[in-house]
Amino acid sequence: MRCAAMVASMLVALLHATAAAGEGHPGRAQIEQEGYKGPSTCEECHPGKAKEFLGTVHWKHASKVDNVENLDPKVEYGMKNRIYTMCNGNDVVNNLKEIPKNASGKSKFTGCNTCHPGNHLSDVGSSGPEAEAAIDCLICHSTDYDFRRRKPFKDEKGRVVMGQDRSTKAALAIGKPTARNCMACHEAAGGGVLVKRGFAFNKDTDVHAAKGMVCVDCHKAQNHRIPTGFDPNNWANDGLRVACLDCHGDKPHKSADYNRHVAKIACQTCHIPRTGGAVAKDFTVWEQGADKFYEPTTLKKDANETAPVYAWYDKTVRNEPHFIGPRGSRNDGKSKIYPFKIYMGKAFYDAKTGQLLSMDFAPPMASGDTRAGVESAARTLGMKDPAAVAKNAVPGWQTVYFGSDHLVTKSKALNCVNCHGVNGVINFKALGYSDAEVEKLTNPEIYFKQLVEKQKEEW
Amino acid sequence: MKRAAAVMLVVARIALGILAIGGVAGAEETKMVGVITKIDIAGKDAKTATVTLKDTKTEQEVDITVNDDLTLDKLKDHRIQDGDEIRCKYEVKDGKNVSTYFRKTAGC
Repeated sequence: MRCAAMVASMLVALLHATAAAGEGHPGRAQIEQEGYKGPSTCEECHPGKAKEFLGTVHWKHASKVDNVENLDPKVEYGMKNRIYTMCNGNDVVNNLKEIPKNASGKSKFTGCNTCHPGNHLSDVGSSGPEAEAAIDCLICHSTDYDFRRRKPFKDEKGRVVMGQDRSTKAALAIGKPTARNCMACHEAAGGGVLVKRGFAFNKDTDVHAAKGMVCVDCHKAQNHRIPTGFDPNNWANDGLRVACLDCHGDKPHKSADYNRHVAKIACQTCHIPRTGGAVAKDFTVWEQGADKFYEPTTLKKDANETAPVYAWYDKTVRNEPHFIGPRGSRNDGKSKIYPFKIYMGKAFYDAKTGQLLSMDFAPPMASGDTRAGVESAARTLGMKDPAAVAKNAVPGWQTVYFGSDHLVTKSKALNCVNCHGVNGVINFKALGYSDAEVEKLTNPEIYFKQLVEKQKEEW
Repeated sequence: MKRAAAVMLVVARIALGILAIGGVAGAEETKMVGVITKIDIAGKDAKTATVTLKDTKTEQEVDITVNDDLTLDKLKDHRIQDGDEIRCKYEVKDGKNVSTYFRKTAGC
């Protein structure tokens, strides 16, 4: 009897599998017949999802932030309104628009919110039925999205609209977001491919990608809210967090010695030995390109091209006009040593307050006049006497510690000597260890026997 | 006889070494920035594409062969399209300019 039941259930499962393989996403026939009409089509099977999505960071580009100093706990922060030197503009001051003509008489559309998954008429943080209908579900969920359709244009009323691919073809290729869906936006943030985050997610650069995993396998969404880590420079969050230990546990190694390290050393420290992306940018001087448009002067580095800096981090953030980075110490009982990508950006500071000023990119992109960009942003923000603010603005540098959470490797992970060798990558002195402790920590006594055994095993 | 064979072996090794160095020199990377004027890719399952770039300095058109999956993917879904400015490195292999680096210059 039990055997018969098992066979029956296997048959049912097989039938389901065959149906799924043959038809793909349920509702396919209906989409083929009626076409794709935007979120309303999705809502027929997924009611309430559009409204739900409007409450997420992907739509609002902001959230309340509770781990960064000098912020108002009642205000939401993020790409929408932040001022820092990787992206000296934001959605507010550098809203998507047609910029003034350049020396060649050409204009173009540009703005920080070009990656916002709406149509720009319903923009960052908008709400209501119109916003729900404007969501570009397929840009995240289709594997056959045609990016030629996702271009800004002016409608008959002269408003700037972001196009979307709402074709039936794209809608018939829906499913869980692939790495390509995520990287379409996240790869090119900050002014170009691998400029901001500096990591490629592919089989050559990340052990998870090599195993066939995709972004949302770790950043597992719950009702469209995406868990994120504690990158000191990535403030907005959906209230969900992701960590290596969620999957790997707190004893991830065979070696007890390595497992002891987990209490004080973040996984990333050994398993992400390299970083990448821009190391410095100058927003006060823009360079003219071949197309006669100007871009911020940027020192770019590829994935795995730079070495991280290590610091104690308790997951709270020091936030000052010239510094954004980790708080923490060896003795606070909460911190671990993490790797960071160090970035330095030059931009204009307010001569009176010393606060970092933001920039509207439209004027400098067309003419190279960066102070005109500061003036335009100051006007948008309602600052008093924008012309004077721009004229008196003082150039200065800001150091930003970016979290280094991708480019994960198993085979090239740091080993004992990489850190405990005399010329190891960890600067124990800078991390708060005394001379006597440093001497002990960098003596072969600490790792010699273990590595000799490993050597024997390997050969 | 043995000695002659040994000499021949050394000569052969040196010759191979020179050829190898020549090979490396021949595979030197060329860098360019150019605007896409034409994309030739045969459908969704294509394993290669030919992209014509107009060099922004010399205004000459250069045909680039793209074989890497990531860039092919971007060509297929048109994340990279006609008119985009590209920073490219390529090596000449079998008479073709094979891309080793192919990225849009513009960002967000």
